[in-house]
Amino acid sequence: MENKQIIGLLVQNHPGVLLRVTSLVTRRGFNIDSLTVSPAGFEGYSRMTVRLSGDDNQVEQFINQMLKIVDVKKAEVLPEDTSVAMELLLVKVSSDRDNKNDIIAVTSAYHASLVNLGEHSLTFRASGTPAQIDTLITELSTYGILEMARTGIAALANGDTTLTK
Amino acid sequence: MQLNGSQIIAECLLEQGVDTVFGYPGGAVLNIYDALYQYSDKITHILSAHEQGAAHAADGYARSTGKCGVVIATSGPGATNLVTGIATAYMDSIPMVAITGNVSNDLLARDSFQEVDITGITMPITKHNFIVKNVADLANVIRKAFRIAMSGRKGPVLIDIPKDVTGALCEYTPMPPRQSENTLFSTDEDFAAAAQAINAASRPMIYMGGGVVSSDAEKQLLAFAEKIDCPVATSIMGLGGFPSSHRLFIGTIGMHGGYETGKATDNCDLIIAVGARFSDRVAGDRKKFGEKATIIQLDIDKAEINKNVMIDYSLVGDLKDTLSKLTETVSATKHDEWTTQLAEWAKNSGVTETPKSDQYAHPYHIIEAVNKLANEDDIIVTDVGQHQMWVSQKYRFEQPRRWCTSGGLGTMGYGLGAAIGAAVGNPGKRVILFTGDGSFHMNLNELATVCSYHLPITIIVLNNTVLGMVRQWQKLFYGNRFSQTDPHRRTDFPSLAQAFGIKGLRIHNDDDAEAVLNEAFASEEPVVIDCRISPDENVLPMIPPGKTVDDMITEME
Repeated sequence: MENKQIIGLLVQNHPGVLLRVTSLVTRRGFNIDSLTVSPAGFEGYSRMTVRLSGDDNQVEQFINQMLKIVDVKKAEVLPEDTSVAMELLLVKVSSDRDNKNDIIAVTSAYHASLVNLGEHSLTFRASGTPAQIDTLITELSTYGILEMARTGIAALANGDTTLTK
Repeated sequence: MQLNGSQIIAECLLEQGVDTVFGYPGGAVLNIYDALYQYSDKITHILSAHEQGAAHAADGYARSTGKCGVVIATSGPGATNLVTGIATAYMDSIPMVAITGNVSNDLLARDSFQEVDITGITMPITKHNFIVKNVADLANVIRKAFRIAMSGRKGPVLIDIPKDVTGALCEYTPMPPRQSENTLFSTDEDFAAAAQAINAASRPMIYMGGGVVSSDAEKQLLAFAEKIDCPVATSIMGLGGFPSSHRLFIGTIGMHGGYETGKATDNCDLIIAVGARFSDRVAGDRKKFGEKATIIQLDIDKAEINKNVMIDYSLVGDLKDTLSKLTETVSATKHDEWTTQLAEWAKNSGVTETPKSDQYAHPYHIIEAVNKLANEDDIIVTDVGQHQMWVSQKYRFEQPRRWCTSGGLGTMGYGLGAAIGAAVGNPGKRVILFTGDGSFHMNLNELATVCSYHLPITIIVLNNTVLGMVRQWQKLFYGNRFSQTDPHRRTDFPSLAQAFGIKGLRIHNDDDAEAVLNEAFASEEPVVIDCRISPDENVLPMIPPGKTVDDMITEME
């Protein structure tokens, strides 16, 4: 079944580790639409979060191939129903005096906050699940999005489960 | 004790039991070669004519001895010349440590003379690679490189070392090599499930690959196959991992495998893949390969499970341990009806050999004649192309590690370097290189190395004056348009050999073959034999790419 799965990787932050991961993605023809890298919270390690499109076999292959990289220590699926996955959006919306209040009404429904005011634009910050962010973008596109930046997904398992255990 | 980086490299090689390295000096490795001069009583360095030859030699050394091959090259072109050799080793899971020099730290990233990003270049063709920017890290990186190359699914590792690091002083403390860890990852339940499937099968087949050789599991495989009375087919890489003379051996499987192994694949109810990876040259149509059979896969590399063909049961771990445990778990049985059926198929291969001619020798005849003259533990090396397939079809291998061929990458020009490595690693043994005129032309510069070290290599050039394998595909799939495959070069191989200081002989046809081969085998002198074969000789049978045994070609022209 074709679906999107979020996979958490724990990697040793040696030089070139990001290239090792991305080069493997390209070489093996995996299809990813988000990749984030950040410190893992303890020395020497980084955490990568990948969203992969593919069937169950491709997800299994992705994990097994990733674990062959010497610097990759853990690779696990973070299932949607037992994890929290969020991303941050900065979006600059085209605006004039007339529609300003409409736009603010829409964004406040998504708990987005106004972070900057331009002569002809409003810039908002929003965070939420990838699906919530997608919906907000669709709504705002009717007003004209001048530019936007998404951070990509950060995800953690629910409860006491961690990638290290 | 205080040593410089190059002395640390030498000490770490000795820690790992390395007594032989292959390589070629250059500016960025001057310090390393100075240490090799100092350690020359403990470490033998074999100088090749070209770094590619040195890399293939390290590969042939590793395949034929089971030890880790080591190759050293300088920065820039020295390093890039290793690339084909490293990729060849990577595709066939051959353990190798490649050490390259690089420009000094303060010159890195400035496009300095002979600078190249070799770790970037080799990332997709190594298990792992390192650049060591600090001499304090050097010893542990070398130790780690050997551990990675030799553990799990083996493979090449590259260590890039800037020149200043090879000259910098550092405290060195010797350390014994780490013992390998337990590598049995499957549970008792996994074994029980696999055993149940094996016990239930009435037409089982073992499909073995290079993993059997790589893990030295030939005895365990033999015991397992005999206990369940199961026919054994092999990939090209697995040859020698099961005795060819054994009643259960049915030959090679795949594109140029036998008719009977193709029929067995199609008609069996169970395939047990042992250290094999279902490559496209074996499973041409991966959706139809063994589609009527239950498939069990035994492999050290979990990523091989369900990669090309979907598997029903998998056992992940070292083959030696896995096969031993599986043999204990299964019941002894007989499959007389099935083995009789296979013997019937073997009689009906449908391939007719080309008639005898006084103009040419026949490749099968030459290979069989060599097989008769050679000792069981002589090492057979090939290049890539038609000659390689003919040898894989006809030569009878009774022991593992007596066979070096580029199976995965299909590297023309591999053979001579690999033969040098095999000869260096097996003193007192004869090495027989079968090559073609196309492959031989690629790296014949290494004849200089053969002569320098006086290596007992018998080189048989199956010379059809054409690029036979590609030409065969042009016959089959491109309407006989022989685009660039008919060079008909007039290279006089015996004279060429003599120019390098090596004896040269010629076989004109089947009638003079025995006499010439007898002369070559009578001494341990290196020799090049130019063996004239027909440009129209084909490799048959052949399953066209992407097809199954039902589409097997047994006749051409």
